[in-house]
Amino acid sequence: METQPHIDSSRIAEVAQGIDRSEIEGREKVFSVRELAVSYNGKVALEDVALDVHRNTVTAFIGPSGCGKSTFIRCFNRMNDLIPGAKVHGSVLYHGEDLYGRNVDPVEIRRRIGMVFQKPNPFPKSIYDNIAFGPRVLGMKGSMDDRVEGALRHAALWDEVKGRLKDNALGLSGGQQQRLCIARALAVEPDVILMDEPASALDPISTTRIEDLMHELKKDYTIVIVTHNMQQAARVADMTAFFSVLVDDEGAARKGILVEYDATTKIFTTPSDKRTEDYVTGRFG
Amino acid sequence: MMRVELQADLDALEAGFQETGEIVVRAIRGVTDALRTQDVELCDEVIAFDDEVDQRYLALEKQVELTLARQTPVATDLRLVLAILHNALHLERMGDQCVTIAKLTKLSSHLGTQSAVVEGLADMGERCDEMVKVALNAFATRDVEQARTLHQLDELVDNANRQVFHEVLGYADNPDALEWGMRQITAARCFERIGDNAVDIGEQTAFLVTGELTEFTDASHDPRPLR
Repeated sequence: METQPHIDSSRIAEVAQGIDRSEIEGREKVFSVRELAVSYNGKVALEDVALDVHRNTVTAFIGPSGCGKSTFIRCFNRMNDLIPGAKVHGSVLYHGEDLYGRNVDPVEIRRRIGMVFQKPNPFPKSIYDNIAFGPRVLGMKGSMDDRVEGALRHAALWDEVKGRLKDNALGLSGGQQQRLCIARALAVEPDVILMDEPASALDPISTTRIEDLMHELKKDYTIVIVTHNMQQAARVADMTAFFSVLVDDEGAARKGILVEYDATTKIFTTPSDKRTEDYVTGRFG
Repeated sequence: MMRVELQADLDALEAGFQETGEIVVRAIRGVTDALRTQDVELCDEVIAFDDEVDQRYLALEKQVELTLARQTPVATDLRLVLAILHNALHLERMGDQCVTIAKLTKLSSHLGTQSAVVEGLADMGERCDEMVKVALNAFATRDVEQARTLHQLDELVDNANRQVFHEVLGYADNPDALEWGMRQITAARCFERIGDNAVDIGEQTAFLVTGELTEFTDASHDPRPLR
C-alpha cells in the first residue's frame, strides 16, 4: 500500500523564510570576537574583526586566498600561538571568558575546541588507537570501547569500520580518514569543532558525507568552517562571514578584513555589500 | 569580468525574454486591430501566431533550467533567472488571452457590433499594448519607479473594463446585442488579465532590483468596491 510522503511543514517554512538571523543571534554566544587583529612578525594579516559565533550553529568563513580566514579560525583555539612571530590583538571571548587570558591553558582549550584540517592526518596507528589516543592522554574515565564506538558512530563511520578496528587507519579512504579525524576530535568531548577546508581534498561523495555530518553534528556541537567552496558554505552554514583582501595604494601591503557577516540565506540572495555580491556571483577580481 | 559563460547565458536569457515580449506586443496589437475592424482573417492570424509565443516560452524555460543546472547562479544573477522564468509565463498567458479574444471576436462578429463597446475594447487593447512595453522597458533598465507606474496604468484598464460591462447591461432588451455583448465582456476580461500580468512583470522588476517580493496591489485587500 502506498503511504503518504511525510511533509514536515516546519521545514517548508524554514526553507521559505531562510533561517532567521535574529533566531540564530538569540542562541548562546560561544565566541565573541572584538577588534581582533593578527600580525606575523609585525606584518598585519587580519584587522578589525568583530563577530559572534552562536551555539549549535554552523558558521562559515569564505573569501579569496590571503583574506585571513584560516588565520582567523586558528584564533579560536590558539593555534596561532604555535607560529613563531604571530601576535593576536583584541579580544576573543569563549563563553564570556578571555581565550587569551593569563590563566587559560591552551591544551585544555584545544580539548574543548577541536580542529579538523584540510588534509586528513590520522596517526599511523590502528583505527581504534587513533580515537583512543586523546582520551588516554587526558586520562578520561569510562569504558574506552564505548567511547571509541560512540565517537565513530557520531562521525558516521562506525558501520564501515566496526569489523576492522585494529587495522591501520592509513588503509582507509581519504573520506573515511577525514571522518576518522572528526571522530578523533569528538572522542575528547569537545564543545566546538573547527574545520579548515575539511572537504577540499575529498571526492564529491565523501564531501556530501562530511556535509551531511555537519548537519547532524550541529545538534550537539558548534561548528566553524573555513571553505573555498562557496556552494558548500551555502549548503551547510547557518551564518556566513565574507572576508576580503585590502591592498594599500602601492599595491604592496595586503591584509584581510571582514566585509560582511549575516545569515547564509542573506549572503547568497541579497548581500548588503557590493564586494560580497561580486564574490558570491563570481565577479570578483 | 569573470564567469564569462554565466554572463553569456544571462545575456541570452534576457534577450530571449525581450524578444518574446515584443512578439506578445505584436499579438496584442493584432488582436486589437482585428477587434476594431471585426476582421475574421486577422483573428485567424493572431490565433496561429500564438505558436510563436509558445515556442519562445518553452525555449526560455529550457534555457533557465540549463542555466540553473550548469551555473548555479546566486544573488542578483539568481533573481534575474527566477524573474525571467516568472515573466516568461506571464507573457505566455498574455498570448493565450489574445487567442481567446480573437476566438470570441470570430464567434460573435455575425451578431452585429455596438460601436461604444468596440471602442471601449480597442481602448483597453491599446492600453495593454502600452503597459507591456512599459513593463519590458522597466525590466530592461531595472527601473523600479517606472515599473510602479504600471499599477496606475492598470487602473485605467480596469476602468475601461467596468465601462464595457455597464454598456452591455444596457442591451438587456435586445437579444442579439446582449449575446454579442456577453462575449465582449469575456474579451474585456482577457484584456484586464493582460494588464494584471504586465503589473506582475513590474513586480518582478522590483524583486530583481531590491530582492524583496512584494505585490504592487493586493486584490484580496482592495478597498475599492468590485464595480
